[in-house]
Amino acid sequence: MEKVNTRTKELASTLLEIGALLMSSGASTGRIRVTISRIAEALGYTSELLVTHRALMLTLVEEESQNFFSSLKRTSPHGVNFKVVSGISRMSWRVVEEEWDLPQINAEIERLRSLPHYPRLVILLLVSLAGASFCRLFGGEAIEMGVAFTATFAGLYVRQESAKHAFNGYMCVFFGSLTASLISGASVKWGLGTDPELAFATSVLFLIPGVPLINSFTDLIDGNIMNGLVRGANGMIISFAIALGMLGAMLIYNI
Amino acid sequence: MTEWYHFPEMGVWLGFAALGFAILFNVPQRALPFIWLLGALGGITKLLVLHFGGNIILASLAGATLVGFLSIPAAHSKHAPPLVFSIPAVIPMVPGAFAYRMMLGLIKLAGNTGTESYSDVLNSAVSNGLKTLFILLSLAAGVAIPMLITRKESAKEIKIVKSK
Repeated sequence: MEKVNTRTKELASTLLEIGALLMSSGASTGRIRVTISRIAEALGYTSELLVTHRALMLTLVEEESQNFFSSLKRTSPHGVNFKVVSGISRMSWRVVEEEWDLPQINAEIERLRSLPHYPRLVILLLVSLAGASFCRLFGGEAIEMGVAFTATFAGLYVRQESAKHAFNGYMCVFFGSLTASLISGASVKWGLGTDPELAFATSVLFLIPGVPLINSFTDLIDGNIMNGLVRGANGMIISFAIALGMLGAMLIYNI
Repeated sequence: MTEWYHFPEMGVWLGFAALGFAILFNVPQRALPFIWLLGALGGITKLLVLHFGGNIILASLAGATLVGFLSIPAAHSKHAPPLVFSIPAVIPMVPGAFAYRMMLGLIKLAGNTGTESYSDVLNSAVSNGLKTLFILLSLAAGVAIPMLITRKESAKEIKIVKSK
């Protein structure tokens, strides 16, 4: 019996790597499937893919010999990173148009993986500004906006720190929500500004699971019902963690 | 009576709200100005529909549809997939407030049996939950509409100006 090419095995592991990166960076199921089959096709293979939230399975069929190779990979913990999603999408087109080979693809993945995030202070300041903007959108004045800014800043900081200490992801959200609502809750307790409730309601909005929830419905519309439900459940648990943090602060302040 | 400058001002804040999430999601730097603009325009559309008496679900659908359509030329000019622009831009419209009211309602229901406020709490929890569900659905549908009606697998294949 003839053996499967080593190239096939290497390509399979590269493709699974790409799929796992996309899944953990916040791409929808349809996008993962399209990207992987586009690259596989450009390199002369037929591919079949099973995508789930925590693992991917890929079968590559060599076009000439019809030999096939299957492989399975777990995805890493999720953290939204659109630089990776955008980079991989660009790469997949260059594989097709510039006829890239496997080493080039691997080098590009390595490059994308090492791309830096924004500086931490920039993230903290701009997300806090977003929190203040939300407060303004709901009708807050300068004082409420200031409270929302401070609460978001502290909440995000605590969330980042607890993620660094490798707490369970939902626990990180809970800590962030509790911190933010303890700070904004203090303004409700002492009646700071005209409508401190606004600051309280908007200070946790930076935690809302927007990407899991939107991806959930994107998957459902696409017909990837299973993944859609899984992502939706994930979003629900995150919302629950947020509500629990706010409830904790409300119990502590008795408001 | 709403002053005329109310909507542009809200647009500025909507833009910053979208920008904050874009930074959180580590969007490529070249995409940031477009996200600010898309967030502002989509949000203003939603506010205008609400202002003229549309309900929140319809308003969100209108805003998200505009963002979905604008994300295609943005994707072409900045060489990034449309979702990189559209997801941060619609996040300010995600019904965070409704979702958390539903959650608080559910938590209250769990600890509250047999009192007369039970049905009030149940009503508001269910209503907030349904609003959350339908707004999310309309956001995802709105963003997906350009792809759905052109029936393409990639935004790169959508031609904005018909060649020849």
